[in-house]
Amino acid sequence: MSRNAILSALRAGLAAAPLTVETPPGRPASTPVGPDAWAVLAAVLEPLEVRLRLARTPAEAAQHVADIARERAAKTYTRWDTALDAFGLDAALADLARLEPGCCRNLAHVDLGLVLAQAAFLESGSLAVVAAPGRHRAASLLPPASVALVPKGALRPDVSHLPALLARHSAASGRLPACLNLITGPSSTADIELVLVRGVHGPGTLDVIGLDWDEE
Amino acid sequence: MREMTTRNFRRQSAEACRDTNLRAVLDHATRYFQAKRGASLEAFPGRGEHFARARAARLNALSRLPDLLEELETNASAAGTQVHWAADAAQARAIITGIASAAGARVVVKGKSMITEEIALNPALQAAGAEVWETDLGEFIVQLAGEPPSHIIAPAVHKSREDVAKLFAEKLNLHGQSIPELTLLARQALREKFLAADLGITGVNMAVAETGSVILVENEGNIRMSTTCPPVHVAVMSLEKVVASLEDAADILRVLPRSATGQKMSSYVSVLTGPRGQGETDGARETHLVILDNGRSEILADPVLREALACFRCGACLNVCPVYQTIGGHAYGWVYSGPIGTLLTSLLQPRAETRDLPFGCTLCGACKRTCPLSIDHPKLMMALRQRAAKGRTNRFGAAHSLLARHPLAYRLAVGTARAVDPNLDLLPRLPGLPGLSEFVDSRHPPELKKSFTARHRTAKKGKP
Repeated sequence: MSRNAILSALRAGLAAAPLTVETPPGRPASTPVGPDAWAVLAAVLEPLEVRLRLARTPAEAAQHVADIARERAAKTYTRWDTALDAFGLDAALADLARLEPGCCRNLAHVDLGLVLAQAAFLESGSLAVVAAPGRHRAASLLPPASVALVPKGALRPDVSHLPALLARHSAASGRLPACLNLITGPSSTADIELVLVRGVHGPGTLDVIGLDWDEE
Repeated sequence: MREMTTRNFRRQSAEACRDTNLRAVLDHATRYFQAKRGASLEAFPGRGEHFARARAARLNALSRLPDLLEELETNASAAGTQVHWAADAAQARAIITGIASAAGARVVVKGKSMITEEIALNPALQAAGAEVWETDLGEFIVQLAGEPPSHIIAPAVHKSREDVAKLFAEKLNLHGQSIPELTLLARQALREKFLAADLGITGVNMAVAETGSVILVENEGNIRMSTTCPPVHVAVMSLEKVVASLEDAADILRVLPRSATGQKMSSYVSVLTGPRGQGETDGARETHLVILDNGRSEILADPVLREALACFRCGACLNVCPVYQTIGGHAYGWVYSGPIGTLLTSLLQPRAETRDLPFGCTLCGACKRTCPLSIDHPKLMMALRQRAAKGRTNRFGAAHSLLARHPLAYRLAVGTARAVDPNLDLLPRLPGLPGLSEFVDSRHPPELKKSFTARHRTAKKGKP
């Protein structure tokens, strides 16, 4: 059986010549999330052609979403359910048709996707989105225009906080969520002559709305 | 395009050297990647510590490889992923075509993956009746062209926009000129394939033993599409890609994108743990993980060369290598190219095929200085050379080396030989001198200059 033969060969190889590993240096301390966190995030997103808009109330966030939909000439949208129900987004997007999640074909031609980021890493501008019922993966992938809402309490220094984030979203059994995506800017490629083009398979634009209030 | 093989590395390199267009493209590409990477690392506080932590994470994984693979198997299985073990490429192909057949897969979409190139998966799937689409833009281009990738992270770096426009027109009947137009055409063509796909196949950047997760790193979103839309996902990993923990994975994620493309983080990083959960509307319903050995257990047993398994394929060593900069990826004749490709190919392919590869290195050490994991490529290259030469001692070669250290004796010996056989083409044919022919063939002695009188005579004849 391949499995046992492979494992035996690996064990024999290491037994004959053990591999010792030096203790690495400690991980450099992360830059703490300070009062200027939104400015830091805006600065790191800017070279990625991602605009950060701040909202001080859910209504203001919904207004930003409506503005973005207009700018992107969106006719249809899809959004996460429970996580975004409280924002009044459907009223703000009343002129657009909302497409229900399902298989990817259902959303093949949707114009705008709305998700809530469970974390944003200030060092890289990465947004963490964790899939779950009512939080479909395609919402941040299939539409040409993507919008992520980022709560103030979700700001984290860097990707070293990924294990803690996954642990927080694990089931009581300890099972991790089936899918966590870190999204850092729009989909991009430089495969032809090293010329950067946005939106090769995923969204060509990404807008971030910072929810600038303390959660209760 | 003539088929490239590792056995013909010498000839292919010589041909590539004469290709001035290729040189210009490679010069542009390698400078581009070096500049992006340099700027990114300059603004990376604590990079020395981060590099050391990433190296430790990789070496730690190698030092506990069998235990971690078992842990990975246990945790991936607990999450609902079906784990398969393949000793070699043939087994891996059989496993994956079996999964495709069971899924009734007619359309297969693939994320960029060197490992599936290594096992020559596409022809096997096609022979089983599936339509297979590479979905990374660069891979899509080289697939249409019928060529292998020429760079680990930029597979179609050798193609111009005109080449791509011609290719799309010929193969897809899609017409565009500018790079954004061509990219949009590829998006539209491949979007249909994603939506129709029955099976998605990707490689693995890391597999996390403690959680059973696979981590995939990309910029285009094609890997997300390949793991989100089709009902079945197969991830193929070479067995050294396991890491012990999410902490180790996070340490590697700090370094890998910066070293590969100069990005603080790639556009998309996916951490996938099992099939979609109950109540989720997308993502694969069925997930498979294929763990491939294909010669790596032998490499791990080698105390000198096992360091090559620490590589996480950022491709930085290619961009600084003067040989790669000159000949590009195809001349190496197999999947992997550049310094790390030379090492991997030499270790994974039959020795008779790869004998010349480690000798096609200048030992300048640029790769070692650039590698974020401090892999000592030149040291490994020397070890490979010694092994290639072992048991092949040629007494004429040894005598030549000895003479070369004593210029007067060298001149005397060569002068004597040339006096008897001016072009050194008769001596090797003499019976009773085994090894001389092989030695002379390998050295290609320079042609003897004509004597002064002969040149004078020729010059006089040529006068009007």
